[in-house]
Amino acid sequence: MFDYSIYEQIERYLGGGMVAEEKVAFEALLQTDTRLAEKVREHQTLLKAMRQHGQRQSLQQKLNLMHTEMVAESAAASPSMFKVFWNKHRQTMAVAASVSLLSVFGTLWSVQQLKEPVQQQTARYVELRREVERIKKEQRAIIDGIMGTEAEKPAPRTARFSGTGFAVSSDGYIVTNSHVIEGADSVMIENKAGLRFKVNAVYRDKTHDLAILKIEDPAFEGFGKLPYTFKTTESDLGEKVFTLGYPREDIVFGEGSLSSSTGFEGDTTAYQISIPLNPGNSGGPLLDDKGNLIGIISGKQAGQEGAAFAVKSAYLLKVLGDMLTTDSTKVALPRHNHLAGNGRPQQLKKLKDYVFVVKVYN
Amino acid sequence: MENTLYETDEAILAGIRKDDDRALAYLYKLHFPMIAHFILNNSGTEDEAKDIYQEGVIVFYEKIKDNSLELTCQIKTYLYSVCRRLWLKRLAEKGRYAVKVDDAEDFLPAEDDIAQHEENERQFELMGDALAQLGEPCRSLLEDYYIHMQNMQDITDKFGYTNSDTAKNQKYKCLQRLKKIFFTAYKPQV
Repeated sequence: MFDYSIYEQIERYLGGGMVAEEKVAFEALLQTDTRLAEKVREHQTLLKAMRQHGQRQSLQQKLNLMHTEMVAESAAASPSMFKVFWNKHRQTMAVAASVSLLSVFGTLWSVQQLKEPVQQQTARYVELRREVERIKKEQRAIIDGIMGTEAEKPAPRTARFSGTGFAVSSDGYIVTNSHVIEGADSVMIENKAGLRFKVNAVYRDKTHDLAILKIEDPAFEGFGKLPYTFKTTESDLGEKVFTLGYPREDIVFGEGSLSSSTGFEGDTTAYQISIPLNPGNSGGPLLDDKGNLIGIISGKQAGQEGAAFAVKSAYLLKVLGDMLTTDSTKVALPRHNHLAGNGRPQQLKKLKDYVFVVKVYN
Repeated sequence: MENTLYETDEAILAGIRKDDDRALAYLYKLHFPMIAHFILNNSGTEDEAKDIYQEGVIVFYEKIKDNSLELTCQIKTYLYSVCRRLWLKRLAEKGRYAVKVDDAEDFLPAEDDIAQHEENERQFELMGDALAQLGEPCRSLLEDYYIHMQNMQDITDKFGYTNSDTAKNQKYKCLQRLKKIFFTAYKPQV
């Protein structure tokens, strides 16, 4: 039939199966016959689409085959469910784990950190008795030994604690803080001039944190006249005050002012003073500008700058009075003040021989 | 060794041009993990990864066969770009817009290639539909002749026609019908 022969012709034309003359004739025909040309084009598109369809199908089959092959290959070492899960979420889990570790240890650490201040807050009041660095002293003894100065002498026992004390009367009574001689076997005092005496505690008043010591040395011949007097009335706020003490091996001067007429947590038996103090200052004398003794250094508030405390001198006098009634020991207090009107260095020069380092052995 | 044979991209390209299925298989296996990783990381499944990857490989393959491939980068990058584009499109169709794509590789814009591919895909589907509508034995007849390139005599024997002329007539009838079905649906977009 016409249709089919046309198709055959078209196919032969497209497939390049026509001989030259036939092809030329056919192309000429195409030029004139637009319907035929249209048919050819359609046919071409159709065949092409069909071929592509075929190719695509076989390609897809091939790919599917490859895929199953690949899956089968990897199935040998196929990862388990867990492994898949692990691979997928590994990073997330690592982050989560490290965060939790961090927070656990962070919490532990910060709790530890918090504990310290809490402990400090429960005992904010710090007594200024000094724990002597034993090693340092021993080192010095060794050095001395090497130098050969005291080679034969047995090394002196070192003090466990130290504080400060000062004379209250010329006949050998010394006052210091009660906490300084806490748990003492024996107590020694020593001043800047090198005088060294063994003392006994004759009276202790723990409520006012005061202790009276007496020099028991037979070689002791009295201090002579004490240059300061004791103030019986309260001192005023803002008054210039100073102290001498032994926060280290040497005597140390400290100056400030009276910043409050009450002590730690409103303690009316003490002053608050603004003198920088250190362990070892406990028991030191607190004097005003005129050389009146107005208090005894006792402690400071931890974690707070410039808040140190001193027991008021009135309570020292009270303690001395109590001692008179209980033990009938009379302490003759100095009457004359030789410090008033002197410059500070002069005052200190006079004063320093009456300030002792109190060494506590146990 | 298969691995050493197709070590370079050029070798793979040459292999595919020569219709070497091993080259294609090698390529296929080489890059599947990358695409699978990408799809899985961007809310896809294993099956979707397979679909997308195969589509990508088809794009690549057809471009090679078409001789229209201008490879300015590695095959790996090309495949990744195409698959990435395809996957974003798929996500958009699913109504899920990837806010942020988790990219593991560099990529190129592959819009042109994708557009071409979509045209091919449309044609492919229409042809598939047309062939399905055509029914048997027309379909097998046409496929055998035009796609599998069997000669008329074999077809005559296979389908039990009395002679090759009858077969030829039958074939043209079928072709006529296919043409009708196909062109009602397909308008070449030029």
